[in-house]
Amino acid sequence: MTLRLGLGVFGMQSVPQRPDHHVKLYRDLLEDAELAESIGFDSIWLSEHHFWFDGYCPADLAAAGAILGRTTTLGVGTAVMLLPMHSVEKVADDAAVISRLGEGRLSLGVALGYRDPEFDGFGIRRKDRGKLMDAMLPRLAESCREAEPPIPLYVGVATAIAAQRAARLGLPLFADSTMTVTELREMLEGYNAAAVAAGVTPPALHALQRDVFVTDDRERDWAMLLPELRYMRRQYGGWSFPQDEGEMVPAYLQRLEADIEAKLTNLIMGDADFVAARLREFEDLGFGLIVCRSQFGNLPRESLHRAMHGLGRVRDQVSR
Amino acid sequence: MRLGLGPVGLSAATGSGLQRLAAQALASSFDAVWVEESRAEGVGGGLAAAAMLAQSSPIRIGAALDAGLYHPLHLAEDIAVADLTCQGRIEVLLRLASPASDRYAAPASRAALEEHVTVLGQALSGAHIQWNGEHLRVPGRLDANQPVPERLALNPRPAQPVVPVWVEAVEPWMAELARNLGFGVAARWAAGAGVPAASGRWPGMLLCSADAQAAPLLAAAGAGAGYFLVAATTPEQVAAAGRRLAGPLRMPGFPAWVNDGE
Repeated sequence: MTLRLGLGVFGMQSVPQRPDHHVKLYRDLLEDAELAESIGFDSIWLSEHHFWFDGYCPADLAAAGAILGRTTTLGVGTAVMLLPMHSVEKVADDAAVISRLGEGRLSLGVALGYRDPEFDGFGIRRKDRGKLMDAMLPRLAESCREAEPPIPLYVGVATAIAAQRAARLGLPLFADSTMTVTELREMLEGYNAAAVAAGVTPPALHALQRDVFVTDDRERDWAMLLPELRYMRRQYGGWSFPQDEGEMVPAYLQRLEADIEAKLTNLIMGDADFVAARLREFEDLGFGLIVCRSQFGNLPRESLHRAMHGLGRVRDQVSR
Repeated sequence: MRLGLGPVGLSAATGSGLQRLAAQALASSFDAVWVEESRAEGVGGGLAAAAMLAQSSPIRIGAALDAGLYHPLHLAEDIAVADLTCQGRIEVLLRLASPASDRYAAPASRAALEEHVTVLGQALSGAHIQWNGEHLRVPGRLDANQPVPERLALNPRPAQPVVPVWVEAVEPWMAELARNLGFGVAARWAAGAGVPAASGRWPGMLLCSADAQAAPLLAAAGAGAGYFLVAATTPEQVAAAGRRLAGPLRMPGFPAWVNDGE
């Protein structure tokens, strides 16, 4: 079995510590995609959020189109598109055309989304997201199957309930980067049981997102990465666990900090041999595609490129 | 005067086919290449296709889009990102009168379409939006979603300070709406038909057939049009249209002998 490695996830954020203009960020993205293709990555993955101060990419498919136009063999995926905020007809129609123009190099990862202001911007109640997903996912799955060429569709999950939704449709998972090996194993067991109960043949392989940084100088790169990781995790943590009503700020920050520390432990950081060995553990669980998040916000270019070349060496090992 | 190729339909297009047309457009002195959605037929992806094409063509790239079928903020976001990926070369033509389709819940009325396009215009302007319409409320400020901001803004913004947007005016109110919002007005060219005047900073746009001739287009230019899209579909048609039209539209007094050999 060959383990495929994707590069991710690009959110196109003009972060406070490096507030580049978005014209530069998107120019850099296209250069990074060319580099990823030359290194031999399977694919590059884009992330989506809306109405955030750092200009997080809100239109993955438009950005994907540009990458497909700049490259010739590299796959492009969404990790993940927040489907309940969209018109499923629009997503299906856009994806089918992009896939055809890109000669089958587009993949879709879709998930629920979780941030109230994003749903609210589109006039949608966050609490309706599950019902919306239940209605949209079968329609999108059918459209992806019928597209010419067909479009691989993954369901982004961080919980057992979300995995079971995907299982009932026989769709492969795109597991969240914050899940531990134990959580992943339990989720896959639940997924397989739900698929059997629904009379569906589960796919052989799933996809996984993981925070990965390949380095030959851990001390140097950890000093560079830590503030970037803390910023990223604080942002996501703030979205996932907003301050409770009546919760005092110090208590909230302490709660947030505990979450950040826990999530940082999931980072796989080391030389190519170390990283390859760790990624093999996920392959053994049933993940055939690992999207390695080596771009955290907007890293210094030379650091990102060093990590990409390092991941290329990992790819050479795991794809043998 | 400006000359554009298209809009080229995306229903059966291939990436390499689009690139060949765009390369011929560049070689034939066209100012822009346009692609075209047709959502009633399930053909979307206009802005992604434009972003794709822009990577292999250095001229401006246009997208003819069906508006009003999904949330205008999604459309604004697509325009912004597509424009950023090509360093500010995107142009847009909005169609408000798409054929009925059971695939989309189309706006029920002219008023709903006007709200959609108005919110789109506000978003593209970079304004901090709060819209309280009969058909749209942005942000929703729904009780179920809390806490949420009172206003929002398109972020990231397009690369261009003002993205050129035209509205195809198949009914008079569409031209009025476009003018009120500072958008351009477009119409299909036909002998004897009206010519859209310039609106805001945008010339009137005429959608012409592949065999359009210079003389009637120059007459239309005298009546206010200034941007001509020619629907050529093969590289040969593109080359021929470029020879016929590019020179005469660019400069008054184009010497006839230049094209006499055709």
